[in-house]
Amino acid sequence: MAVQLSTKMQEFVKEVFPAIIGTTRKDGSVEEVPVWFEFAGGFFWINGGTNRGWFKHLERDPRITLLLVDPKNMWRWSQVLGRMVKWEEDQGGEHINHLSHRYLSKDYQGPRTGRIKVQIEPVRISGAIDGDWGR
Amino acid sequence: MATGAARPGVILSPAVQRLAALPILAVIATHRDDGSIQLNPIWFELRDGYVVVNSNTRRAWPRNLQRQKKATLLLVDPDKAAERYAQIHGRLVAVTPDPNVEVINRLSRRYTGKPFRELEPGEERITFTIEPVRVTGQMI
Repeated sequence: MAVQLSTKMQEFVKEVFPAIIGTTRKDGSVEEVPVWFEFAGGFFWINGGTNRGWFKHLERDPRITLLLVDPKNMWRWSQVLGRMVKWEEDQGGEHINHLSHRYLSKDYQGPRTGRIKVQIEPVRISGAIDGDWGR
Repeated sequence: MATGAARPGVILSPAVQRLAALPILAVIATHRDDGSIQLNPIWFELRDGYVVVNSNTRRAWPRNLQRQKKATLLLVDPDKAAERYAQIHGRLVAVTPDPNVEVINRLSRRYTGKPFRELEPGEERITFTIEPVRVTGQMI
């Protein structure tokens, strides 16, 4: 079940830096990649091509973890354990263009077709932003 | 281990070695007991081709690492965040207590220029040596 973000977390997720996502490969190892994200309507949203390894992993095992670290201050970080709720076609590349404006303040320069947006519900949150280091 | 006698399974490319020489955080990935994924930002250093990290014995990721004997480490180029990164799949080859906080002090100086903070009551530091076995990502 989705959890609510604390007030501090709701502010933290507005900051602009890539998230690191972790997904589980078929061989049981973890795949880690940096991705653009946004938090909207109580969910995390990421975007990619259907050929991305992480997306194939999520179709097999929907569990995903996002790590957010302030690139200017290593002590500000948060770990979000989550689950893919659904994915849908990013029609016309509107969502990737929206993310491009969040990160680069300009239109997306890459191809806008063959992309999907992925909805992730936060299931458990830990890390320094919420004052928890251990778990 | 990491005495210079042994050689790691995979030699890191010069580009990855240059990235690893910067005082950037690595993100270590392990699996929790229930199969969900644990991601933590950590200090690290490369020594003789091995990745050396340190933690206290109470945290989750060191417990996961000792159970699974493997981890993934991600290094991200701070100047090109979502475009240049190296993903190191590694195997745990040595677990060494750090009772004199020698390793954590060295890591702390690498990242903060200062020795590590005072240990908390009952805190025990431990060093993990990880052998790179496969490197992927977008680096050259």
